[in-house]
Order: sequence, then structure tokens, then C-alpha cells
Amino acid sequence: MVRVKSRYLLCEINISVPSNRLLLEDRPIFSAVKDAVASMHGDYGAAQCSIGFSVKYVNALTGIMLIRCPKSSYRLIWSALPFVTSVEHKGRKIPFFLNCLHVGGTIRTCQKFLVRYNTQQLHRMLPQCKTKDEKTHVRRAILSSSTKMLKGKEQKEERD
Amino acid sequence: MSLFMDLNLPFTADKKRLKTLLETAAHLGFSTVAINYVHQAQSKGKKEIPKPTPLDQLVDELPIVQGKSRPIKVLNRLTILVSDSNHYRTNAAEYKAYDILAVHPTTEKLFHAACMTFDVDIICITMTERLPFFFKRASINAARERGLMFEVCYAAAIRDSTMRRYTLTNGLALVERNNGKNVIISSGTDKALELRGPYDVANLAQLFGMSEVEAKDGVSSNCRSVLLHAETRKTACGIIYTVKTPKDTQPEETDTDTVSMVTDEPPSAKKQKTSAETDTDTVSMVTDEPPPAKRQKTSAS
Repeated sequence: MVRVKSRYLLCEINISVPSNRLLLEDRPIFSAVKDAVASMHGDYGAAQCSIGFSVKYVNALTGIMLIRCPKSSYRLIWSALPFVTSVEHKGRKIPFFLNCLHVGGTIRTCQKFLVRYNTQQLHRMLPQCKTKDEKTHVRRAILSSSTKMLKGKEQKEERD
Repeated sequence: MSLFMDLNLPFTADKKRLKTLLETAAHLGFSTVAINYVHQAQSKGKKEIPKPTPLDQLVDELPIVQGKSRPIKVLNRLTILVSDSNHYRTNAAEYKAYDILAVHPTTEKLFHAACMTFDVDIICITMTERLPFFFKRASINAARERGLMFEVCYAAAIRDSTMRRYTLTNGLALVERNNGKNVIISSGTDKALELRGPYDVANLAQLFGMSEVEAKDGVSSNCRSVLLHAETRKTACGIIYTVKTPKDTQPEETDTDTVSMVTDEPPSAKKQKTSAETDTDTVSMVTDEPPPAKRQKTSAS
């Protein structure tokens, strides 16, 4: 029997009030997505959600999360993601929406995409920096990420 | 070509809200958006068609689109809610201020008239209540021949559960009749939280019964053909165009003698565009030889 295949959905969480972002945790998000799937696709959808569906990674600072779904039902779950509107946190409802960035077969591919995406975001952040300190900080971050990529490429060339 | 567009963002006078809306749209990856001014026409008593506020009054700086280096493009669109046949006046002067024209028919007769004769780019379908009429294949085929697009808005579905049902029913009915072609999907919301990314929207479209390719077209190429159709509508088959001369007191040139000299050699950009359109087959009336009716009009002027 060959290996069980799954799909990893890399999503970005967009929140209207940025300070609320730090309150996000994996369990409330998991139940929010499950409720959305159940309301869109009924009992069948809820059943599809119960095997092999989990939230693997949530980064509250950047607003990135990784959801694992079985390969046979990832489209169903993906189609219900636009309908996730809010998450419960200590009785309060925090409104937010999900934007799916990448679908990968393994966590490693999603990670590779995430590294590229984050460097792109750094580039986008640079013109928006207001103080000089922020600018140097961002520039240093961009430099370190691009030298890492260069080093990786050099090593590849040496091997070849 | 992954140029994503969202052609229905209702106009709000609140500048801050509009700004966050545009920023979110740019962040999600939409290259072009259209601000929609909805006009409820009335048969008794005149109601003025609103003039679009110029862009520099609304927003200071346009945000840059995610993944590209250009700022987001913002267009003006007018949607006319017609519930009577004299609500829509062909070629009214106020329509010229808008880039895209859309009509929202509420009865079967008006829907048929809109598909056959109205000079618009988009036909909107109600998503928030049960459609009082069924779509006829004849009208839909006629609209497809003319290059019109049908619009589906998904904002109501995100807000409310009963709206979701109506949206899905109406969307399914439409897609069943026209095989998923000539449909564009747009948000129709003025809140930044109700916008969704283009790939999510394409996935949503698949719930209406469209295939993957058709769904992605609904967010990218069909929207682009709406823009091209709007341009040809403005410029009489894409061959003649009027240019505002950079003089202080000169008004815009209209159908005068100057027009006829332009017919011989359209500028190269327009020429390329017209040939591109004949390839895609969406705007079938744009060729190098305008139909005889239009030709007579230009020679008569």
C-alpha cells in the first residue's frame, strides 16, 4: 500500500484590526473552519472534515497558517474557506478572512513557497517604512534572506 | 496571463473605507477594480444619474498590486437598475463619464431586451432574492454573440445563510443555461473584510457548476473582455476614437470632420487590439470593416 497523500493549504489571515492578530490560536481557527464546512456542505462536509483534517501551523505575527486535508476532500474544504468570517476568542468574535496562497503536497513545498512569499512581502514593506530605523531593519532582513538564497545556489553549483 | 479583476466595488463616500478596500484588493492580487455607482432609475420624476467623482479626489495614492510592480487600476462603472422599459435611455450623455456600463434587469422582458438591444457591457443577476423569471437560451445566446457578460456577486453569500442559498440557486440556474461561459464573478461589497482572493473566488465559482478553466476565466479573461468591450462601445467599434486635445478651452472633439480622417489609419495600439479581439471571438463586431450602418453614420457626419 503506497503512502497516504494529503494536501496542505497555506492560508493568510487578514484581520481588520492588526492588534487582534496576536490573539489567534490553532484550536479556535480549527473549529471556525469546521463550522464553515459543516454549514456549507452539511453533515457530509462535517464528516469529510473529521479524518485527516488539522491545523498544522499558525504564525500569529505574520498571519500565516497551514491546514492539512486529505487529498480526496481538499477541494471541498477549500471551497468552504471563503465563508469563514469570524473566530471565537474568550467570548468575543474576531472578524477576519482567509486568503489561500498555496496548495502543496508536503509541508516542505509549502515552506519553500513561504520563504519566497515572505521575501516578497519584505520588498513590499520597504517603501512603506516611515522611520530610518525601520528602513535599515527591513533592508538588513532582505539582505540576509537573499544571501541565504545565494549561498544555497552556490552550494548547488559546487555539487554539480 | 493572470490578470485578476474585481469589477464591482460599490461606491462609498467614506474615504477611509475606500482606501482600506483598495489596499486589501491590491494585497490580494487584483490588478484592476471598478468602483460601481448604482443608479435606481425612476419613471416618474427625474432622478439625476450621478457623476463619478474623479479618482484624485477619492484616494491620494494607489496601492501597488501584490506580485507586480504597478499600482492598482481603478475604473468607474455605472449600474442601472431597470424595472421599466423607459428607465434605460440609449446613448445618454451621462453614460460617457463612466468606463463600464452595466444594467440590472428585474423582469423577463427587460432581461430579453437587455440581451438583445441594450448597449451595455455587463448584465447583473440578482443574487439576494428568488429570480422571478427563468433564463431563456435564446436571450443568453444572443448576449453571448454580442459579447456581453453576466455578473454574479458573491458578497451576499458570505454575509448571510439564506442569501447563500439564493446566490447558489441563481448562479446554478445561470450556469446551467449558458454552459459557464461569459460569466464574471465579482464581490459587490464595500467592506474590506468581505473581499476574497482571486483563487478563492475561482473555487467559489466551481460551486456554481463551472469547470476549473471557466471559473478562472470568470476572474481574469472575461473581465478583461468586458474592459475591451467597453472601449469599443465608446469608440464605435474600436476604430474611431476621440481625443481630448491639450488646449485650454477646446471642448472634446465629437463627431465632426476630424473623425473621418482617423478612420483610414487607426493608431497601431488600437489596431493590435482589434486583431487580438477577433482572435478571442468575444467581441465579434470588431473587425476592420465596420458594419454598413456604422459606416454610413461616419460618412454622413
